[in-house]
Amino acid sequence: MPSTALDLANDIARYRPLLYGLALLQLRDKTAADDATQETLLAALEGAPRFEGRSSLKTWLVAILRHKVIDIIRRRSRPITVHPSRPEAELDISAFDALFDARGCWASPKDIWSDPETVVERVAFFKVLEACLTKLPPRTARVFLMREWLELPSDEISAELKISAGNLRVLLYRARMQLRLCLDVGWNGL
Amino acid sequence: MTDDGPITCRDTTWLVSDARERPLAESEKKALAEHIASCSLCQGASRQFEVLFRQLGLYLKGETPDA
Repeated sequence: MPSTALDLANDIARYRPLLYGLALLQLRDKTAADDATQETLLAALEGAPRFEGRSSLKTWLVAILRHKVIDIIRRRSRPITVHPSRPEAELDISAFDALFDARGCWASPKDIWSDPETVVERVAFFKVLEACLTKLPPRTARVFLMREWLELPSDEISAELKISAGNLRVLLYRARMQLRLCLDVGWNGL
Repeated sequence: MTDDGPITCRDTTWLVSDARERPLAESEKKALAEHIASCSLCQGASRQFEVLFRQLGLYLKGETPDA
């Protein structure tokens, strides 16, 4: 635990890159991600006297960031549409055809994954997960994180990104399928 | 899915994703459970999705080790 306010301020500042990275993953806009990070750090410094260490500092900061990012998305006067360079490609699930045979059965055996346990394993896992999230197409990542991180209701996401409920379902499916595949190669293959 | 017939491995991946968006209907839950019980490949795949969702949840809460 930090012993002085200055220590705490230094500790908070240390997490700036992590917060910025997460904000950028969601917002896909450097200025907006910077704003979210800045607002989070300021709110954390102001709220520091109330930080009681019940959660880890990082968890507390990420929770503040989450609220700031939601505020930024809701504050936008008009929906920001991220136009995918190939809109149809992001909705195309034939990319997963190779995973299944003609009868819709998995084409290859699945390795049994275990949760990473040691610090070394966990560091390695989250590094791969982060890389896999970064590799998702921008709109897919935005939609996916709006559900999984921000936990926004589906109808709000549909309205914000101007996509139908059906397309939202496909984007979320694609994100989950791609992440599993990416981890299968990047982490399980380590 | 529109009927209660047997489902494919590929169908199960849709249900695994949909289950994070909405409560599955009883018929869907049953079809999913029955298929997974009889399919070792799907047991492996659904285990992979479980690990993915659990670890993603930790990551998005900042519950990660400091590298």
